[in-house]
Amino acid sequence: MPLLINQSVVTDDKWVRVDADTLAQHPDAAIIVPFELFAAEQDSLLAGDRPLAVQINGDQDFELVLANLERLSLVVIEFPVFTDGRGFSFARILRRKGFSGEIRATGDVSHDRLEYMTRCGFDAFEIQDERFTGETCSVFGEITVHYQGSADDERPIFRR
Amino acid sequence: MYQYNEQDQNLVNQRVEQYRDQTRRFLAGEIPDDEFRGLRLMNGLYIQRFAPMLRVAVPYGLMNSVQVRKLAHIARTYDKNYAHFTTRTNLQFNWPKLEEVPDILAELAEVQMHAIQTSGNCLRNTTTDHFAGILKDEIEDSRPWCEIIRQWTTLHPEFAYLPRKFKIAVTGSSEDRAASQVHDIGLHLVKNDAGEVGFEVLVGGGLGRTPMIGKVICDFLPKHDLLTYLEAILRVYNLNGRRDNKYKARIKILVDALGIDKFRELVDAEWAEIRGGEMHLTDAEIARIKGFFAPHPYAADAVNGVAALESKLAEDSDFAAWYERNTREHKVDGYRAVVVSLKPYLKAPGDITDVQLDVVADLADKYNFGEIRSTHDQNLVLAHVQAGDLFAVWQVLAENNLARPNIGTLTDMIVCPGFDFCSLANAHTLNVADQINQKFDDIDYLHDIGDIKLNMSGCINACAHHHVAHIGILGVDRKGEDFYQITLGGSSREDASLGKVIGKAVPQAEVADTLEKVLQVYIEQREEEERFIDTVRRIGLTPFKERVYAPVN
Repeated sequence: MPLLINQSVVTDDKWVRVDADTLAQHPDAAIIVPFELFAAEQDSLLAGDRPLAVQINGDQDFELVLANLERLSLVVIEFPVFTDGRGFSFARILRRKGFSGEIRATGDVSHDRLEYMTRCGFDAFEIQDERFTGETCSVFGEITVHYQGSADDERPIFRR
Repeated sequence: MYQYNEQDQNLVNQRVEQYRDQTRRFLAGEIPDDEFRGLRLMNGLYIQRFAPMLRVAVPYGLMNSVQVRKLAHIARTYDKNYAHFTTRTNLQFNWPKLEEVPDILAELAEVQMHAIQTSGNCLRNTTTDHFAGILKDEIEDSRPWCEIIRQWTTLHPEFAYLPRKFKIAVTGSSEDRAASQVHDIGLHLVKNDAGEVGFEVLVGGGLGRTPMIGKVICDFLPKHDLLTYLEAILRVYNLNGRRDNKYKARIKILVDALGIDKFRELVDAEWAEIRGGEMHLTDAEIARIKGFFAPHPYAADAVNGVAALESKLAEDSDFAAWYERNTREHKVDGYRAVVVSLKPYLKAPGDITDVQLDVVADLADKYNFGEIRSTHDQNLVLAHVQAGDLFAVWQVLAENNLARPNIGTLTDMIVCPGFDFCSLANAHTLNVADQINQKFDDIDYLHDIGDIKLNMSGCINACAHHHVAHIGILGVDRKGEDFYQITLGGSSREDASLGKVIGKAVPQAEVADTLEKVLQVYIEQREEEERFIDTVRRIGLTPFKERVYAPVN
């Protein structure tokens, strides 16, 4: 599954996805923890100092993620279907709170949403193999005129 | 009107190429059907019963003659020589080819038009009063605010995948010709005790399966806060609106479930985070946009035409009937606003041919500062015609079947395309509109009935706003046959109300006869000068029910 970070394909992803069964197998690795596991084990997970990430979707408690931003270096936002737009607001709020780590989109993520996602604060995208083509990276810059302020530039067009 | 600068033009040009590429990738099999559906809808392209349908945006119903001629050209070149105006003041082409849509969009971009966000679960075209800017009692012209909202909504990166579509309407006077109370957000320009202008904000109105009148969320919003407040409402909706059931996904359901006070709390908490931020409007930006809507250079001697007008009115009763129903006052003496009727006898309401589009464009150039407006009730307006020119304008309109003197009468119906075109429809509407036209063609009768609003939808989605018509007709399917449910007492105006069903649906053949019974009750019961809606409100539904459902001897 190709991973784009800052609009380029990255081949070595340092992050390891764990679940309740595999958590113990990666004692020192940088781990992406699913939200349910994070909620259940937050005391022990937050106590360590290894790189920590949480994966969340629109049905889960975003407030719990926001309350622990200082300990997170990556937030993965899942789009179960491309029509679920809650993740756009999640990313926007994360950047507004000052989160400067990586915000990664996963799930039903493809070409025609990457530009909007970038504007909302995402800087990394996991794209399904069958939806990735040589043209995918050329999507950035299809539309260069932005009326609204957003996470990429909080100033609307009339303040630039 | 607003004129694109280089950036505005770049945006629509880039959007054309983006959509051209999306179409190419779809046809090459690189985009799945359901995903392309989302992409094409956000560009106004539906796949209908027989063909695609392209909905072109007409922001707040305002066009110039160059744009209208371009629409005529598109109807001629890419379609079957006609198009259809909608209740969002947009224009629909019924027979474009999917592969040619990028070319149509490129043609539109040449005249500062597009189809951006005319469908899909995103921020739609903002609508307003079609008499904005010419009203004597107006607090402010609503159109600059619509343009500010248009720019904010256009390609908004965060709110392109909302739970459901989202519609905003703005009014600038005490009258409401924009159905603002049945919009997701209704904005009313108001003045506070200190004499400052701001907005009363309504939220959670809507029609469809669950019609609701909007609720006041803010009594007075200072105007510089407009965009931050809209953003706060949209973010709360995007995060909390239901996504499990499309029929419960509109903001009205969320507002109703939480209660307006709880919803307001959520919005205020979000607003507190962003209120003082970069989206706060500046005086310079408000002044820049308002500059595009400065009054036209009205002729100081326009009142001199009044004498000629009066003599024509005295000698030509057809002209006088048209003048009475299809024109209205203008804030500048010597000018009138003309409503171009798109409700001719036995033609689909809201339809217009390429030839008629060109005729209207020519009239606009000659008599109306080149401006044309489309209305919520599917007509057009030439808003600034000199008194002395009215007869000439009427003659040209009449020659082109655009001067039926029926504005505001029973045959000035809002009607959706129904089963003849729409893949959602349960029942036909156009043939029933014909039936009503045939039954009630007598002008004297129509003028005697006076102001009345009749709307007809071909399904529960209520595109023709039947719930808020004085008389609403809803087509339903009963075991393969078209039946029609009738509601009375609705209004989309400042006195907004939802109509109530009078009884069981009637068969298609009996719709006009049923209306006649309803109107008989009105004629018998009305007090002097009393409008139909006021009689219904005074006497209630019972007398109408008794007449309509009286046992046949």
